[in-house]
Amino acid sequence: MTAATLNTEGQSPKKIQLNTRYMFLIGLIVVASVGFSIANPNFFSIANIGILLRSISVLFLLSMGMTFIMLTGGIDLSVGSNVAFAGGVGVVVLTSTGIPVLGFAAALIAAMAIGFINGFFIGKLKLSAFMVTLATMALARGLALVIYDADSINVTNTTFLWLGGTSIGNFPIVIPFVALVFAALCVVLYKTAYGRDVYAVGSNINTAFLMGRQADRTVVSVYVLTGLLVGIAAIITVGRVSSGQPWAGLYLEFDAITAVILGGTSLFGGRGKLFGTILGVLLYGIIINGLILTGTNPYLQSLIKGLILLGVVLIDTISQRRSAQ
Amino acid sequence: MKNENLLEMKSISKSFFETKALNNVDFACHAGEVHALVGLNGAGKSTLTKVLGGVIQRDEGEILLNGSPVAISRPSDANDIGIATIHQEYSTINELTVAANIFLGRELTIGKTPFLDKRRMAAEVRELLKRFGLEIDPRETVGNLNSGEKQIVEILRALATKSWLIVMDEPTSALSEEDKQKLFEFIRRMQDEGISIIYISHHMPEIFGIADRVTVMRDGKIVLSEKTGETSEDAVIREMTGEDLDDFIKPEKTVSSDKVLEVKDLNKPGQFRDINFTVARGEIVVMTGLRGCGAPEIAKSIFGLEKDYAGEITYRGQKLAKGQGPAWSVRHGMGFVSENRDKNGILAPLSVADNISLPFLYKNTKLGVIDGGAVNGIVDKAIRDTGTKTHSSATEIRFLSGGNKQKVCFSRWLDENLELLILLEPTRGIDVHAKADIYRIIEDLAVRGVGILVLSYEVDEVLLLADRVLTLYQGDVVSEYGQSNMEKEMLLADMAGVQKSA
Repeated sequence: MTAATLNTEGQSPKKIQLNTRYMFLIGLIVVASVGFSIANPNFFSIANIGILLRSISVLFLLSMGMTFIMLTGGIDLSVGSNVAFAGGVGVVVLTSTGIPVLGFAAALIAAMAIGFINGFFIGKLKLSAFMVTLATMALARGLALVIYDADSINVTNTTFLWLGGTSIGNFPIVIPFVALVFAALCVVLYKTAYGRDVYAVGSNINTAFLMGRQADRTVVSVYVLTGLLVGIAAIITVGRVSSGQPWAGLYLEFDAITAVILGGTSLFGGRGKLFGTILGVLLYGIIINGLILTGTNPYLQSLIKGLILLGVVLIDTISQRRSAQ
Repeated sequence: MKNENLLEMKSISKSFFETKALNNVDFACHAGEVHALVGLNGAGKSTLTKVLGGVIQRDEGEILLNGSPVAISRPSDANDIGIATIHQEYSTINELTVAANIFLGRELTIGKTPFLDKRRMAAEVRELLKRFGLEIDPRETVGNLNSGEKQIVEILRALATKSWLIVMDEPTSALSEEDKQKLFEFIRRMQDEGISIIYISHHMPEIFGIADRVTVMRDGKIVLSEKTGETSEDAVIREMTGEDLDDFIKPEKTVSSDKVLEVKDLNKPGQFRDINFTVARGEIVVMTGLRGCGAPEIAKSIFGLEKDYAGEITYRGQKLAKGQGPAWSVRHGMGFVSENRDKNGILAPLSVADNISLPFLYKNTKLGVIDGGAVNGIVDKAIRDTGTKTHSSATEIRFLSGGNKQKVCFSRWLDENLELLILLEPTRGIDVHAKADIYRIIEDLAVRGVGILVLSYEVDEVLLLADRVLTLYQGDVVSEYGQSNMEKEMLLADMAGVQKSA
């Protein structure tokens, strides 16, 4: 106990640690980009950068929501299935009414409803986040399959497809949109009392409660917020391929969790930054995209993803044990 | 089984970042010695014992056992040469029996079969218990024991593995008076058997009651090491702080007649009975008793953490809804410092500033955005007012010493809207120096007109702080004392239940 007091002098070690991590991630992003562009000159083309960013725009949104959740010490395994479910609800409402606004609203409400169910069970009833979202992962996928009757639905409404499908030249408009969401979420997380509650709840939910904060409401809210982001992601997903797919978003929960951990957010809550998540998504997206462009056997992709996650968790845990000494 | 072991640590140095936690420390402990190790938080006691226990590695120096160097590079090395550490958090397993805990990891089996020989283990444990004059049933589940007995099981486990040097870190911090006496008796028995004990503590009476030798550390160095018979409490305290301790003196003040809290006929079966008292603005009311006296539950009912009670709590003229919850309480001007700082008091990964500002952040926003300037101003003022020692307000709180963490737990309530502050064991596990600071903070708040309700188990603290004392025994208020008739002997008698039948 006393040993920990000794480095009160010296600089706050947290800052150093996070900054070196970001530098390291940026370094890796550069190395990976250079490596892949040597292997395939197309990698660095404007067209491919547009394709790359658009392909990971959905992952950006989910990972930012996942960051909020993991800051509270939780996890959400349902985000991938929820993309398919919310997309399905949106597309069905759109095709039956023909009014795009209703389609948008339906997709967002459906996704937030799943988020609220997660949040209610985890925050209010104090069930395990892992178990609750494992259940809703199956549940949302099942609902999606029912809604679509296990078949895809083509969408032609240009308003509905606008966000996910429009490009100006080679530049998809979804990219500045994601940047705006990032900026807004940064304000929420760093500049509001709510954001501080997110960190506090993840640091020690009992303490936050005793300090008069509505700890359970904060927990519910991060799942609903993630639901909102999932809803937007579902609309983008439909827009990208001009159709609603019952198997959309498969394994996205895995990708989002990996990217968030890669970006330095702690598995145990209370530590992490949205900027780290952005870097994590970029690096992860570049590696996956690069593997495709270099013609790597697609069967190997899953294996490589697994190795990345295992490696990051290993390195994080070891470095945490070191600093705990 | 008498041993003549001598353990010496020579010229030990250890640095963390730029700070020298241990600076050329020489320390020795021989068989049958109870060696008290004292110092303020951050003086290096824990680092020294962690080096000895193989938890951290020294940068320089050597460790000698009976004159020959030994390598201790991991905790198991320390165990192999007979050194065991008893931490404040016990590592006993609640679901297992006493005997199973003591034999954990080296269970006896029936012959060469994999089946446990519970009878033989119980018999050996019984013999061990008899040797030290202890009365615990080896077949009892550890979860049913009180914390004093758990600690004894933990020590027995060390003794059963032939440990001869036992390091105890603040062993009495969670014990009742009765359990403390049992522990001291046990320590004397161990001493007779040639077991050595390194006893880390802040409590002078304990040290001078039980230890043969006292070693004082300050800033990573040993500043005094004497036989307890050849030094004094004052000398030890002087060396600990490096200066003469300015005693805390209770300021003169007038207590208002305006009641901030009125508790009427409060009852909770099994916890407390017929509790009636009031707290006025500017008044410090202290509840005291032994552990299990019901006082924490009363405090928690007032803060809104308990709802299954009968009776009435009136706060600022308003009757409280049962179990109104901390959110309501805090919004209406209550503050609460819990008894377990590390578990319920701090947000370990967050900065000092975040730890202080969380309860009042929402009040300092413009269009929902935090007013950083205003918040920083309040935080910096709180750090200054409480004398919290931290490199900056951005430092993570886990790097602060216990006393400074506790000051942060106070800092968050210094807000001008504070009306009632509830403090559970406000100075638990912190050093004398920080204690005086904490008392000053409490008095300053009282002078400002805040009503203060304290739970304390330390009678000297009660006498120092209280304007009024309630003594409790097993859920009943025994008596109430004002400043004029407060006497230590009477308080102690009430706490122990002596007057209960009268």
